[in-house]
Amino acid sequence: MLVPIFNLKLNHKVNPHMVTVGRYDGIHSSLTCATTAGKVFIHNPHSKKFSQEGPVSFASDSDVNLLSINQQVAALGAGRLDVNSDKDVLAVGTQTNLMVYDVNNNSDIFYRETPDGSNSITIGRLGSYDQPLVIIGGNCSLQGYDMEGLDSFWTVTGDNVCSLALLDFNNDGQNELIVGSEDYDIRVFKEDEIIAELTETDTITCLCEMQDTKFGYALANGTVGVYDRNARYWRIKSKNQPMTIHGFDLDSDGVLELITGWSNGKVDARSDRTGEVIFKDNFTCAVAGIVQSDYRHDGTEQLICVSTEGEVRGYNPATKDMAGNLMDTNFEQDTVREVSQRIQNLKMELKNYDQNTKAGSVAAAAKISGGGSFSAERPFPPGEFDKARMGVIPAATQLQTTLTVYPGDPETSPHIELFIGTTNETAVRVVMIFAEGIFEGESHVVHPQQSKVSTIMKIPIIPPKDVTVDLHIKALIGYKTSSQFHVFELTRQLPKFSMYQLLPPQAEVQEPGGHCTFQINDRISRVVLWINQSFLLQEDLACEGQQLSIAFLSLRGSGPLFIKIEQSGQVMIRTDDMDLAAEIIQSLSNFLNMEDLQVIADFPEDMEKLRQILVKVDEFHSVRQKLTAEMADHSNLIRNMVVRAEDARIMGDMKNMRKGYMELFNLNRDLINGYKIRCSNHQELLNCLKQVNQVIQKAGKLRVGKYKTQVISACRVAIKNNNVNSLFKIIKSGAS
Amino acid sequence: MMELNLSRVDYVQVGVTSQKCMKLLHGSGKTQKIVIADHDGVLQCFGMKKGEPTHIFKTSPSQKINRLELGGPVGGTRDRIFIGVGPEVRGYSKKGKNFLSFDTNMSEPIQSMYVEGADLFCCGNFIYNHYRDCKDANYFLSGDQISDVICLPVNKTTDIIPVLACQDRVLRVIQESELMYEVEVPGPPVVLQLYGNDGGEEGNEILFGTSDGRIGLVESKLGGKLAPSHRWELTNDKRNGGVISLDNFDITLDGVKDLIVGRDDGLVEIYSYDEVEEPIHRFSHTCSESVTSVQGGSVGSTGYDEIVCATYAGWVLGLTTEPLTKGMGPTEVHIATTTTNKLHSLKEELDGLQQKVATEREKYQETAQSTSAISAVPYFAVNDKFVLNREDASYTLSLELQMPIDNVLLQSDVPIDLLDVEKNSAVVSYSACNPEEGNFLLATYRCQANTTRLELKIRSIEGQYGTLQAYITPRIQPKMCQVKQYQIKPLSLHQRTHVFDNSRPHNSLTLTGQFSLAEMHAWIVYCLPEIPERTPPGDNVVFHFVSTFLDTQLECCYKKGEAIFRSDNISTISILKDVLSKEATKKKIRLDISYEINDDSIPYTLNLLHPKLEHHLLLAKKVQLIDALKELQVHENNLDFMSPEYRQILDDANDLQLEYKKQPCHLERLYGMITDLYIDKFKFKGQNVKTRVPSLLEVLDNYDLQSLVQFFEASA
Repeated sequence: MLVPIFNLKLNHKVNPHMVTVGRYDGIHSSLTCATTAGKVFIHNPHSKKFSQEGPVSFASDSDVNLLSINQQVAALGAGRLDVNSDKDVLAVGTQTNLMVYDVNNNSDIFYRETPDGSNSITIGRLGSYDQPLVIIGGNCSLQGYDMEGLDSFWTVTGDNVCSLALLDFNNDGQNELIVGSEDYDIRVFKEDEIIAELTETDTITCLCEMQDTKFGYALANGTVGVYDRNARYWRIKSKNQPMTIHGFDLDSDGVLELITGWSNGKVDARSDRTGEVIFKDNFTCAVAGIVQSDYRHDGTEQLICVSTEGEVRGYNPATKDMAGNLMDTNFEQDTVREVSQRIQNLKMELKNYDQNTKAGSVAAAAKISGGGSFSAERPFPPGEFDKARMGVIPAATQLQTTLTVYPGDPETSPHIELFIGTTNETAVRVVMIFAEGIFEGESHVVHPQQSKVSTIMKIPIIPPKDVTVDLHIKALIGYKTSSQFHVFELTRQLPKFSMYQLLPPQAEVQEPGGHCTFQINDRISRVVLWINQSFLLQEDLACEGQQLSIAFLSLRGSGPLFIKIEQSGQVMIRTDDMDLAAEIIQSLSNFLNMEDLQVIADFPEDMEKLRQILVKVDEFHSVRQKLTAEMADHSNLIRNMVVRAEDARIMGDMKNMRKGYMELFNLNRDLINGYKIRCSNHQELLNCLKQVNQVIQKAGKLRVGKYKTQVISACRVAIKNNNVNSLFKIIKSGAS
Repeated sequence: MMELNLSRVDYVQVGVTSQKCMKLLHGSGKTQKIVIADHDGVLQCFGMKKGEPTHIFKTSPSQKINRLELGGPVGGTRDRIFIGVGPEVRGYSKKGKNFLSFDTNMSEPIQSMYVEGADLFCCGNFIYNHYRDCKDANYFLSGDQISDVICLPVNKTTDIIPVLACQDRVLRVIQESELMYEVEVPGPPVVLQLYGNDGGEEGNEILFGTSDGRIGLVESKLGGKLAPSHRWELTNDKRNGGVISLDNFDITLDGVKDLIVGRDDGLVEIYSYDEVEEPIHRFSHTCSESVTSVQGGSVGSTGYDEIVCATYAGWVLGLTTEPLTKGMGPTEVHIATTTTNKLHSLKEELDGLQQKVATEREKYQETAQSTSAISAVPYFAVNDKFVLNREDASYTLSLELQMPIDNVLLQSDVPIDLLDVEKNSAVVSYSACNPEEGNFLLATYRCQANTTRLELKIRSIEGQYGTLQAYITPRIQPKMCQVKQYQIKPLSLHQRTHVFDNSRPHNSLTLTGQFSLAEMHAWIVYCLPEIPERTPPGDNVVFHFVSTFLDTQLECCYKKGEAIFRSDNISTISILKDVLSKEATKKKIRLDISYEINDDSIPYTLNLLHPKLEHHLLLAKKVQLIDALKELQVHENNLDFMSPEYRQILDDANDLQLEYKKQPCHLERLYGMITDLYIDKFKFKGQNVKTRVPSLLEVLDNYDLQSLVQFFEASA
């Protein structure tokens, strides 16, 4: 049994996800965690005190040093930023700024305002940059700073960034940046170009590097798993949430395992190939972070797990004589048990078939002799079989399912209708649909009242966004009075653009103002194939001639969508929804294997919105400056007042003292109010900036390949230079 | 104290087993033999030789076997095997010779049985029968369901004294055909065992285990009418499963027989006794399946003691003192040759079965072509339990199958809350549901591989009643699903008791009308849990209940044409009145309802609530402060400036948080009850005070008993 090699109690709470380890003096490792009240503590067991002179005040308490950040810490990271030094730096991200700090000398290396916030920090080399970068993921934005604090890397992504990891994704010798965000996507950036997008089923809360091109991921809904490039090796789902993941070779077999720390305090190590648990341990409360380091300074790296209550356990990798058996399991007994269990299950299955055959012959005999007094519902003559409460249905029962687009009526909103029906008088008692990402949980259940059970069931489905989803349907089939049912299991796929209803050619719909055009070289029949695959059509679209014009109506109320293809291969997509256009271009280009695609786009509505947002951003900025100035004034006043009031107290002038403190109280209230306004102002500003980032991201998504990268970097330059007109031009034409 | 280190060894798997269906036999050899009977009707006796079971005998399948007991001459070795099959008792010698087939002529199958010398005790659900030399001797009809029967050792007591464990929380001690006396126990007893397997020195000490997980030792006083005494009781603070099997065996080798406990959540525990003969916990092992029988002995190898357990799904396993992890080399695991052989034969069997199953599957698929054929999925047994926990006034639903569970769908037509259960690893997902379609809860539990048992916790609200349904789908082909129903009764948080405090101020509800005793009984069964469905004998019936949440009490006293309910809680009376009048209208029976409200009962109930409410308010307040205080602790090096009260909170922080977590929403529930009390009080006066509820909540937020009582007394 593998046991911790050391065990510490730090007596400080630790914020989840905010645990890192660094060698700030170049030699000794120090565990660094963010704790409550805007503080970061550094555990320095090697008892070398840091310099006490500097911008950050240290409160020292045995081996633990406290750093006051005075703001809620949002992310922590440690690593080497200066290639010429062997010392690690500490990066602390808050909602508004990033501080990169030299712990050893107690000095700031640089300090940057980050209006997009920093939800996640990683330090390391990216692509062909010759300096390591501190990369922070904020609200839809990614920024990388070098040693001097220059933001040499900048790009946008689809939603708020939750997790980051640097690793060589495509085995080209350079690191790619893996980004997990709130829109359930994992994106892989080769510098600022997206080279892969992997869609998951919930917010990606953690990412970690494994060996070679493999990486581990964790989702908010309790899933952890391992990817090798684009392919998922395995995943498992638990009812608890994974708090942190880390790749570490615990069993000394030369391959990293995925170590997961869970919300219920469990820590487990899983094989990277199969997900099989090879080791587990339990903390009394949630795990906050897992890191690895040579903490005992003896040349071996330990796995260090930190709980939210500040308990730390370090594990050495298993020694050779444990032979990979870390849990004291008895393999012989386990194998025997497993095989016996399988035998038992097979025996039971055989018994089921046997009973079925017997019951079948009894029922058949009853049918012949009973002269039709037995139905399928009561197939047995009174006696043993009738009492056995079997679930009986005609063997020929089949389940029919269809998916259709239902445009809605005054009572029900538009939706996709899943029809489930049996081929005879048997009833559909319950339908359970397991599908991730489109329901509140992982399942949706339809359970009608006993009196309303019938042979068919119509289930409305409204996927919240355009994704391809597999619906795993389990239907319980029996009779109204049954207590034992047959379970029919089948899987139907919901195409990506299923929430769009095909409009008849003669339908008169006003053409939307937004549109984009591009050129394709493929035959039109390929595009038709793509449409048939991606939309939910009652019958497949036939390919006629060299032109195509087709119209859809969005069930989500974002208006009509037109797709037109000319003989020349020019494609025009008309819709007011820039996001939809982008999704269609991505899906189509992916289907046609296009590497690069330049698109001319015009979305007047979105552009107008963007213009308004930019105006608002300016306003918020000026309000903020004003508020900051006011605050500074107030602080000065307060200082004076305190002195005056205290003077009065010492002089015994109670009247003036009371007056002084009353004034102070009022001022304090004003200050608090001012702070509240500042907070809400900041929140609004964040929202606006996020929207701006999203528009840029969409503009990028309208293009493919190098043009995509080009648009994003051009937009960036325009924003930096505050050149709004050029920004619009870039979004339209795809180039500056 | 020596540390106990036991390792698990699996022996065989048989069919589903009932409680007390496995025993160890003393044979001629050095190791003992296992006899086990299962639901397939197979009785088998085997020993272990080099890890392989060697059968002495094995009967062919017949009817379900509910109980297995060993018998023998009084005070001698018990080596004759008796099984209860339907209404029949069969006896086998240790060689497998069937020497007895005795039809008890009972109208129902034998549920529990005990053999003592020439005396045979058999119980159905309510009937107790005593046979001597297979001749009717005595008969007794119990007021509630009988779970187990045992007889005090005849060689120590002169009389024959059988003891029945009954569902209504009493042990009934019988003398001939008469009830001698009743012993109230803290939970519904499900298993009885003689202390030290021989009843102690005087042969009058009995161990019992209850379905809510408690264990106790009672001493029945013989001769004279002395009250029986409780020697000790183990409460179930850790909320483990119900106790279903007990044994005494000296596994610690200290000369005193240790207590061995098997629970329905798969936990096997060993307790040894301290100086004052109170049990102390020594060892636990989790099997993940209900442990239906436990017995200490030596089966696997000579010289090593072990605890042999049988589980619901039919696994027979040993927890042995023999060290098993000896064959481990540096780079690979040396598998003992016996195990290799065993694995080899198992794998062969598996391959054969797989082929057979494949052809059968094909055959089954083919029937789908036929228009006349039927597809029948056999009924599978579900070992389920739906019990009220006294500690936190919630229900535990446990479901267990012989095969792995794939998923369970829970559906309820009444609002209930599902609570998280630590030991259940299934992924739960709540589905959107529409109360208009009769769904207040739709939740799926997707189980991890090899889960055969699922435990859920449910919190109900008194006054809201209906049905909870569980659709259970096992992981087996052909895919099938079974629905099980559980009633959430109107007074779901009440529990049977045998004490009633007459001095409390009571409100009463009197119903008169043209109803029979049976009809009234049926209504009471409909309203309250833990009452047998059978109408009890006699003209006048009295039941007592206590609310597990509030400790208020209820008395139901009824006969033909009249029923009187008395309770110090006005809400209880109000719920009964609503439900009963609704039921009577449904059956078109005219009921005259009269009630008497005692205004003193309100302050009384509030006083009763006061300590709980105060405790939880204080707890909530303290827990709220913990984070802030901890922050201060981080800032300051020295905590001397803090008041002792705050320092105390910091010191107890962990305990406080743990207690708070244990009873989620407790305060909200108390508030809800007080609100109900308020509304009900004025409902009886014909006033609707719903509009005043917000001001009531305000009073509660600044809680003070006096002002709350005043608020209740101020007329609306």
